[in-house]
Amino acid sequence: MAGNKGRGRAAYTFNIEAVGFGRGEKLPDVVLKPPPLFPDTDYKPVPLKAGEGEDYMLALKQELRETMKRMPYYMETPEEKQDIERYSKRYMKVYKEEWIPDWRRLPREMMPRKKCKKGPKSEKAKDTGKGASLANTADVLKKIEELEKRGDGEKSDEENEEKEGSKEKSKEGDEEEDDDAAEQEEYDEEEQEEENDYINSYFEDGDDFGADSDDNMDEATY
Amino acid sequence: MTQAEIKLCSLLLQEHFGEIVEKIGVHLIRTGSQPLRVIAHDTGTSLDQVKKALCVLIQHNLVIYQVHKRGVVEYEAQCSRVLRMLRYPRYIYTAKTLYSDTGELIVEELLLNGKMTMSAVVKKVADRLTETMEDGKTMDYAEVSNTFVRLADTHFVQRCPWVPATENSDPGPPPPAPILVISEKDMYLVPKLSLIGKGKRRRSSDEDAAGEPKAKRPKHSTDNKEPIPDDGIYWQANLDRFHQHFRDQAIVSAVANRMDQTSSEIVRTMLRMSEITTPSTAPFTQPLSSNEIFRSLPVGYNISKQVLDQYLTLLADDPLEFVGKSGDSGGGMYVINLHKALGSLATATLESVVQERFGSRCARIFRLVLQKKHLEQKQVEDFAMIPAKEAKDMLYKMLSGNFISLQEIPKTPDHAPSRTFYLYTVNILSAARMLLHRCYKASTRKVSEGGSHHCIYAGYRCRGGTAPRNRGDDHSP
Repeated sequence: MAGNKGRGRAAYTFNIEAVGFGRGEKLPDVVLKPPPLFPDTDYKPVPLKAGEGEDYMLALKQELRETMKRMPYYMETPEEKQDIERYSKRYMKVYKEEWIPDWRRLPREMMPRKKCKKGPKSEKAKDTGKGASLANTADVLKKIEELEKRGDGEKSDEENEEKEGSKEKSKEGDEEEDDDAAEQEEYDEEEQEEENDYINSYFEDGDDFGADSDDNMDEATY
Repeated sequence: MTQAEIKLCSLLLQEHFGEIVEKIGVHLIRTGSQPLRVIAHDTGTSLDQVKKALCVLIQHNLVIYQVHKRGVVEYEAQCSRVLRMLRYPRYIYTAKTLYSDTGELIVEELLLNGKMTMSAVVKKVADRLTETMEDGKTMDYAEVSNTFVRLADTHFVQRCPWVPATENSDPGPPPPAPILVISEKDMYLVPKLSLIGKGKRRRSSDEDAAGEPKAKRPKHSTDNKEPIPDDGIYWQANLDRFHQHFRDQAIVSAVANRMDQTSSEIVRTMLRMSEITTPSTAPFTQPLSSNEIFRSLPVGYNISKQVLDQYLTLLADDPLEFVGKSGDSGGGMYVINLHKALGSLATATLESVVQERFGSRCARIFRLVLQKKHLEQKQVEDFAMIPAKEAKDMLYKMLSGNFISLQEIPKTPDHAPSRTFYLYTVNILSAARMLLHRCYKASTRKVSEGGSHHCIYAGYRCRGGTAPRNRGDDHSP
């Protein structure tokens, strides 16, 4: 490139006149930077169409935005747990209507499943016909956590054994899910366990982990 | 899907459904069809939340599912449907103009909830209307039902596909996901319900209760489980029908601007007559005879048959070709050329955009190239009667704005630039798409700023013109 400075400088590979520049005319400078972000325009934009209809639609849009936030379909991001539970939080909660989808129209894997085998409620969860009696997922999760904390010691052994034994066939198991409806709960545990390599009981109940150790008995417990 | 469209979808989902649903939705739009666990793994959200988000998206017809081999269910997001959320106010306003407040609220409830049973819609709308009425007056369910039936008859609301009630002859396991079907004739069939009742006015004490009393209400609503007569029959808003209505409106107003009020009324009558008989993607309406049109004209118009015939002839001879003559029986058979009409509208939009952005001389060059299809640089200068330097400058401005493109025609097989013709041409479809893309970008900026929503309506105007054109040419809605 630098070598061609001396020779062939004025020769173009195409007929320059075809593009509209005369021979020997000063060509515009090469632009070495991107065009400006907000270039000056000679022609200002036309004002927006404003009329009764447009005003109504504008008001509607703003109303819809507010309404959507209050509908049960709006999923709030779960807040991080704070160390101290503020007293006022209990009274500032906005209660939304619960929404239960029609399970008959959705794939079976959509239904929230109970994790623990214990508890009579888990049988109800399997019953696909009674969609209306299914508790909301949030309640389900709370119950799971409670039950887990209670039966934590016993369950961890079961889970370990199951996990090691069935990790290989977990993939096949998932595809054969529909074959055996009665084994839904087992597969569900495998699903949950598959997501990470850690044993569930260790990291789920972080609060209880250190407290259960009885090594330092010299300290009195109050 | 372009990046701008994906960004806009993300903003819309976040605004309407929250961040979790937005994350899942955008992931599905980007990656296409995926099974449940892959979604959970890739987005890093818990399985439970993914399930909830998918339920919400499926409820609102934004995601569909399909059963693949080996029982794997895959979920696919529909980006174009998400973008329609921008138009919700317009749909609701249209329903208001056609069916007054009752119709407006019915469509609003259906759009906000995705799918609903007819009884639920009627009850909710009656309650809402009762609240706005004076004390002591209530809205009867029958009136709301009538409006609902009218909406169904004119195809503005349609039934959702449902699970066919098959006798379970095979004792095998239930399928992983229900297969939903719907037949054409059932789509607008209103179930025979006897909805008797009146709207209830919500008492003001319920609004204030933010503590315990409200906690009891959700349980209370699940307690009155009266058997719902139309259980399982869900209705949704038929967006295609609304788009058809917008298209008709655009054509009628174009005719009114070009000719006069009477001709636009004639065209409106013709469109109304072919509303239900012509599918929405047809290139032209069913042929209508002049006699039929005469009989269907609105009552207020007292024009004689001869005058109507003259108007029709005038419309058919117009160079814009909105109306065409397809035969002579019945006093003359006339059709409306939908695709041609939309094409002309899109072209007119493009011309006006060029004029507003670059000036009227550029617009003259643009119209010239449109008309002559392909022109060389020299020819442009000659035909437009604009000095060479300015013509060059304008052409290059439009070229860099992607309104005009260059077509190379080589004279020799080695494509030597000195022996190649370079012709300027306008590719209408690609220019229209470019404009649509720009509108989406502008909408993104406005939605994210949350400030003036006016620009969203600016987007409407553009999208209204270009989107049908894209539909028309691609033959895909």
